[in-house]
Amino acid sequence: MPLLEVRGVHKVYPGVRALAGVDLTVEAGEVHALLGENGAGKSTLMKAVAGAVTPNAGDLLLDGEPVPFGSPQTSRDRGIGIVYQELSLVPALSIAENVLLGRLPRTRFGLVDWKAVRTSVAPHLERVGLDVDPRRSVRDFGMAERQLVEIAKAVSSNVRVLLLDEPTSALSDRESRRLFGVIHDLTGSGVAVVYVSHRLPEVVAIADRITVLRDGEHVETVPAEGVSEQQLARMMVGRAVDGPTSARAAGTAGSGADVVLRATGLARRPRLAPVDLELRAGEIVGIFGLVGAGRTRLARTLFGLEPATEGSLEVFGAPVTLRSPADAIAAGIGYVGEDRAAGLIHRMSVGANITLASLSRTRRGPLMDFARERDLAEHYVDQLGIRVPTIDALVETLSGGNQQKVLLARWLCSQARILILDDPVRGVDVGAKEEVYRLVTQLSAEGVAVLLLTSEIKEARTYADRVLVMADGAITAALPADASEDQIMTAAGGVHG
Amino acid sequence: MAEDTVRDDQAPEGTAPGDDRRAVRTRIVAVLNGIGGQGGALVMLVVLVAAFSVLAPNFLTVGNVLNILRQFAVTMMLAIGQTLVIITAGIDLSVAATAALAGSVMGVAFAHWGMSQPVAILLGLGAGFLVGAFNGWAITKLKVPDIIATLGTLTAVRGVALLVTGGLPVPNFSQVVEGRRMPPAVTFLGAGTYYRVPLIILVAAVCAVVGWFILSRTTLGRAMYAVGGNREAAHVSGINVNRTKFWTYVISALLASVGGIMLSGRLASANALMANLMELQTIAAVVIGGTALFGGEGRVGGTVIGVFIIGVLANGLNIFGVSEFWQSIITGLIIVVVVALDQWRRRATAAAEGAA
Repeated sequence: MPLLEVRGVHKVYPGVRALAGVDLTVEAGEVHALLGENGAGKSTLMKAVAGAVTPNAGDLLLDGEPVPFGSPQTSRDRGIGIVYQELSLVPALSIAENVLLGRLPRTRFGLVDWKAVRTSVAPHLERVGLDVDPRRSVRDFGMAERQLVEIAKAVSSNVRVLLLDEPTSALSDRESRRLFGVIHDLTGSGVAVVYVSHRLPEVVAIADRITVLRDGEHVETVPAEGVSEQQLARMMVGRAVDGPTSARAAGTAGSGADVVLRATGLARRPRLAPVDLELRAGEIVGIFGLVGAGRTRLARTLFGLEPATEGSLEVFGAPVTLRSPADAIAAGIGYVGEDRAAGLIHRMSVGANITLASLSRTRRGPLMDFARERDLAEHYVDQLGIRVPTIDALVETLSGGNQQKVLLARWLCSQARILILDDPVRGVDVGAKEEVYRLVTQLSAEGVAVLLLTSEIKEARTYADRVLVMADGAITAALPADASEDQIMTAAGGVHG
Repeated sequence: MAEDTVRDDQAPEGTAPGDDRRAVRTRIVAVLNGIGGQGGALVMLVVLVAAFSVLAPNFLTVGNVLNILRQFAVTMMLAIGQTLVIITAGIDLSVAATAALAGSVMGVAFAHWGMSQPVAILLGLGAGFLVGAFNGWAITKLKVPDIIATLGTLTAVRGVALLVTGGLPVPNFSQVVEGRRMPPAVTFLGAGTYYRVPLIILVAAVCAVVGWFILSRTTLGRAMYAVGGNREAAHVSGINVNRTKFWTYVISALLASVGGIMLSGRLASANALMANLMELQTIAAVVIGGTALFGGEGRVGGTVIGVFIIGVLANGLNIFGVSEFWQSIITGLIIVVVVALDQWRRRATAAAEGAA
């Protein structure tokens, strides 16, 4: 009998089907990797098992006995521990306090029994190979140690199944190897580890079995032995791996058009290595990279949010220095960040959000020109087909897709000719996704240059004219859009191999 | 994709028979939302005025109403500036100290140093400007949290005012230039009347109009809402967050200075410790008026109502001869009740939007 069994789990969020009947069995003492692209459903599945997300249907069995969904407490008591990608430690507290948080031993008088704290926390730290003074506060330690503290916390409550969500995303190679050693020791003592990642090499190295998810569905479970990274990449991205190339035939735009943006050795040390980049009018250049590859940092540097520390930038042939977004906007650049909520002012109207970056167009001296603002906002609401009853509606009442269009409208309104789009369809449902991309394609046909940052190979290949691949803060490959998905994935993960 | 457009403002229709309570709730929320978004505050003001009118026959008389307005005109001027600051998600604890400094500097310049009336007034406003500029600089350049920076200036500015006045009321016999008191223009506006209407009320009204105009008619006002609503989004949209915050604090300090100068006129005297604790009254008035303490939302109109509530309450309780001790307790509780009502309205509105 498997230690952990998940049967037919369904989870639907408004407009998004996160899990569509996923099965998973995990044996005691094995490392079971969960693999898939962003949005494949890995994290949702983990959260469901840990009780943090309540599925719409399905069963969870531990040792053959059903575990109710939806209660983190119950899952923990039954021996299911989870370490989230965003660690949940309290930096100001000591390691010991963090490990025993919420169940610190007490003396007869109800005070914390510090001696007991130290003695009871020691074996847990030893188990994860952490040789540090448990009285020191967590904030003194780096990500690797924090990760281990988090694992110690999880195993301290008699864990039988340990869920790790992208545990190496913030670790160096050496730190990762240390973590693998700990995982190995844990499985040796009979604990099952479910390991979520999309880094192929490490998955192949550490896992006993690998389950691949795609679009919320279970694709295949295979033994890690003998499977190649390429096979896994194929399973992750779907059937049409080397099938027809992008919707935009390579070279439709670009080669002849003017270079509108040229970065030469542009870097922001220490996280962004020098980047050379050319973007032509009407071109869509995809930038693909896994989580932590530095895509967002590059975008923020190109928009002046994180000013470059070296290198030079030319926009429309003129050298520019971008110290703030205002500089970038003046140069004709627009930016839609990966976090839509961070770009919108929720309690403001659709109209005010659209014209926010164009106050120079809607002002008469120090005063607002409301008639002009209304005209502009209505014009772009029409042009982009944003579905609102009036432009006075609060932007927070719109659906994700329409909010994303409001952000695009903001940059059309500011007359940007270069658009940097960081994962522009994140959290947007399928229909709206296509619409957003239709708009982007249409804009490029009108001569707008687009830098499309994405963590989904499919999107990069389908919508971009060429693809730059990033890993570890540097561009590792420049590929045509008809490069195979394997090629792209290998370039993105290659550095870690 | 009909549901993709906009969520309905209304609660779900066709409520089951058992949902009477929810229907009543929905109606109350709709009423509160309907009254110009000032919701809880306006209801509370009407209730207070009605209650006092019934219980105390001499409450709702022209004389008493003008009296309330006169007494709380200065609070109003300071509260208008506070509204702008809180809309940008800041807070200005130094408004009352700034008012005292401006009044003191003006008084000393005119009565003790013998300067001309306009110069003395400009010096008072200039002192206020410097306080606002210092607040803005410390908050935007030194990155001191708003509440700490203005707590610091609150303390320091009272000290400067004590230094300027020597800790004595202005004018005082030993230093006064023969025949001088407060500048006549200031006394006229601060203490004078037109028919029976105290002119200080008109000054407060002008301040309110200025605040309203800045917020709703200028690009600076738009930037204030943007910065308070989502600082990051404002920054990404090319709005200069620091410049916006800087000028907001300057405007707040200037309005406070006008308040302090008017207060000196009303009292025909200035001192370093006047308007004591008035900063707390202004914050209470702003919050009662429905401005969100976390920024991005709020109106001058709400603050005006908030000041009225505080004024009506103080005056009404006085008429009843309620002791000052009880007045504090009651005023404090009312602040909590009004804001609780407003929070409940917001939650209920959000829930109704989410359910549809």
